Amino acid sequence: MRTTRFVAPAAAGLLAVAGLAGCGGDGDADATAGGPIAVKATDSACEVGSTAIDAGQVTFKVTNSGSKVNEFYVYAAGDRVMGEVENIAPGLSRELRVELPAGTYETACKPGMSGRGIRGALKVSGTAASVAPDAALTEATASYQRYVRSQTAALLTKTEEFVAAVKANDVAKAKALYPVARTYWERIEPVAESFGDLDPKIDGREEVVEEGMEFTGFHRIEKDLWTTGDVSKDGPIADRLLVDVKAIVAKADAEKLTPLQLANGAKALLDEVASGKITGEEERYSHTDLWDFNANLEGSKAAVAALRPALEQRAPDLVKQLDSEFANVEVALGKHRAGDGWKLHTQLSKTDLKELSDSINALAEPVSKIAAAVAR
Amino acid sequence: MFATYLIGLREGLEATLVVSILVAFLVKSQRRDRLPQVWAGVGLAVVLSVVFGSLIQYTSTSLLRTSESREFFEAVTSVAAVVFVTWMIFWMRKAARSIAGELRGKLTEALAVGSLAVAGMAFLAVVREGLETALIFYAAAESVAGGTGAGSLLALIGGIVTAVVIGFGLYRSALKINLSRFFTWTGALLILVAAGILKYGVHDFQEAGVLPGLNNQAFDISATLDPNAWYGALLAGMFNITAAPTVLELIAWVAYAVPVLVLFLRKPAQPAKPATPATPAESVRPAAESTAPAESTAPAERPQPAAAAPSPRA
Repeated sequence: MRTTRFVAPAAAGLLAVAGLAGCGGDGDADATAGGPIAVKATDSACEVGSTAIDAGQVTFKVTNSGSKVNEFYVYAAGDRVMGEVENIAPGLSRELRVELPAGTYETACKPGMSGRGIRGALKVSGTAASVAPDAALTEATASYQRYVRSQTAALLTKTEEFVAAVKANDVAKAKALYPVARTYWERIEPVAESFGDLDPKIDGREEVVEEGMEFTGFHRIEKDLWTTGDVSKDGPIADRLLVDVKAIVAKADAEKLTPLQLANGAKALLDEVASGKITGEEERYSHTDLWDFNANLEGSKAAVAALRPALEQRAPDLVKQLDSEFANVEVALGKHRAGDGWKLHTQLSKTDLKELSDSINALAEPVSKIAAAVAR
Repeated sequence: MFATYLIGLREGLEATLVVSILVAFLVKSQRRDRLPQVWAGVGLAVVLSVVFGSLIQYTSTSLLRTSESREFFEAVTSVAAVVFVTWMIFWMRKAARSIAGELRGKLTEALAVGSLAVAGMAFLAVVREGLETALIFYAAAESVAGGTGAGSLLALIGGIVTAVVIGFGLYRSALKINLSRFFTWTGALLILVAAGILKYGVHDFQEAGVLPGLNNQAFDISATLDPNAWYGALLAGMFNITAAPTVLELIAWVAYAVPVLVLFLRKPAQPAKPATPATPAESVRPAAESTAPAESTAPAERPQPAAAAPSPRA
C-alpha cells in the first residue's frame, strides 16, 4: 500500500490534536478579580473596561455594538499576538482568555477585520497574586463606599424631582434640574457602568437604537426638552428612568470596589471627560457638558482621595503630582463658571477646549500610574 | 445582519468545499459505499465541535480555552487536512490517467481507498473551523437569550445553509461534466483549496507564536478586496485568499501550489488541460526559488475560461 506513506503523517497530526485534547481539565480559575474585563467595541471605538490589571489569566468579554464584524487582539511589544478573538459579529459578545505576565501591552479592536485596529495601552503589573490587603487599602474601599452612598442618595432625590417636573410638563423646571441630577450620576459613573445594561438604559445616547435597544433615560428626555420642548408624552419614559435609577442605586450601595477598581475608575472618569465632554458628544441637545465634566472630575478626585493614605505610603511623589495636576484642571475649568453652574459647550472656543483637553491629558498621566502603585 | 451572514458563509465554505468534492469524487468513481464514512467523519467533527464549544462556553474547563491553544489546534488540523487533500489530489490524477489510458475497468481498482482516509479527510475538513463556528453559535445564542432578537442566530444559520447549497451546487455541476475533465478540474480546484488551507495553517502558527513574521505583510489590498464584502467572504472561505497575507503565508501558498500544480498537470490526460484559474489576490508572485521543478508544462491547447469557482446560483 503506497498510500500508507501519506496516511502516517496525517495520523501523527491527528494524534497531536488528540494529545492537545488530553491536557487541561478543570482548574485555574481566572485571576481577574470581579470577572471578565468588559470591552465595548463599535465601528469607531474600542473601550477597554480596565487598562491596568493584575498578571495571570485574564478574560476579556468583547461586545460588538457596531455594524461591522470585529476582532479583538492583545499585542505584546513588536505586535506579538498574545491572544485574539475573531468573528465578533455585530451584537455578539465573545470572550478572550489569555495568560499575561507583567508588562506593557496593547489592545486592539479591528472593526471590519482589517488594518492596525483601534489601539489602546494595557498595563499588566505585579504577579498573579492579588493586591495584599493592607489596612490603608481596606480603609480606601470602605471610605469610597461611603462616598458612593452619599452620591446615590442625592441622585435618587434629584431624579425624583426631575421626573416629577417632566410628568408635570414643567419644561423650565425640568431643564434646570437636568444637569443637577446628572451631576450625581456622572460622579459615580464607573460604579454604575459595571452593572451591564442598566447603564445604557439610563445614560445611553440615541445610538443605542442601532444596538437593538430602545432609546430611553436621561438623554431621551434631554432631546425632547431641548429640541421640541414638548415632554407631554414622556411620562412612561420618566417612570422607567426612575425605576432604572432605583435599581442601580440599590446595586451601587451594595458594591464594594477593590482598590484596583478604584484606581481604574479614577482613570475611566478622566477618559470619559476626554471622549464625551470635551467633544460635546454627551449633552448634544442641552450642551450642559461642563456640568458633567466637573462631576467626572470630582468623582475621579474622590476615588483618588479614598486611596490617598495608601498612596502616601507607597508613592509620595505621585501624590504631589496628582495634587498639582488636579489643581491645574480645576483652574482651567474654573474660568468657565456661570453663576451657580457652567457655560454651555457651545459658548466655548476651540482654544478653551484645547486648554481643557490638555489639562485633562496632563492629569490622566499620573492617574494612570495609581493602579501600579496600588498593586505594588 | 449581513455581516453575520457572511461569517456563517465563510466558515461554512471552508468545510463544505472539500466535503462536496470528496463526495462528488466518490460518486463519480462508483464508490458510493464509502459515503457513510464521509458522513461519519463530518458528524463526528460536528459533535466534537459542539461538545467542546459548550465546555468552553459554559464550564470552567481549561482545555482549548486560551486563544493560543485554539490557534494551535486550528493550525495542526489545517496542516493535517492539507496532507489528506494532497493525497486525494494525486489519487485523482491517477484516476484521470487511468481513464486516459482507456482503463476504465481498472478505475475502481486504482482507487481502492481506505475508509479511514475518507472519514479522516471529511473529519478534518469540518473540525478545522468547527470549533470556532460552534463558539460563534453560542455567542449568538447568548445574544438571543439576552433579548436582542434571533437575528444574529438566523443570519449565521443562513450563511451556513448558503455554503451547503453552494457545495451542493458544486457537487451537482461536477457530476455533469465528463469523467476525465472532472478529475482534472476538481483536482486543480482542490490544489487551490489545499494551498489556501496551508496558508491558513501558517497564519495560525504565526498567531500561536510558533512561526515568526506575523506583521511582515507581503501586500495589503484591503482597499480593493474588502473582507466585509460578499466576494471577500467567498474568496476567503473557498481559497483563503485574503487582502493582507504575511510574506510567510504567501511563500507557503506559492511553494505548495506551484509544484503540486506542475506535478498534477504534467503528462496530462488527453483532454484539454485547464489553465490555472486566475486568482487575483495572489497574482503577485515573488521568485519562489528551489520550488519549481525544471520541467515546464506545455501551453494549454484550448485555454478555457476559469470556471473553477462555482458561482453562487442559489
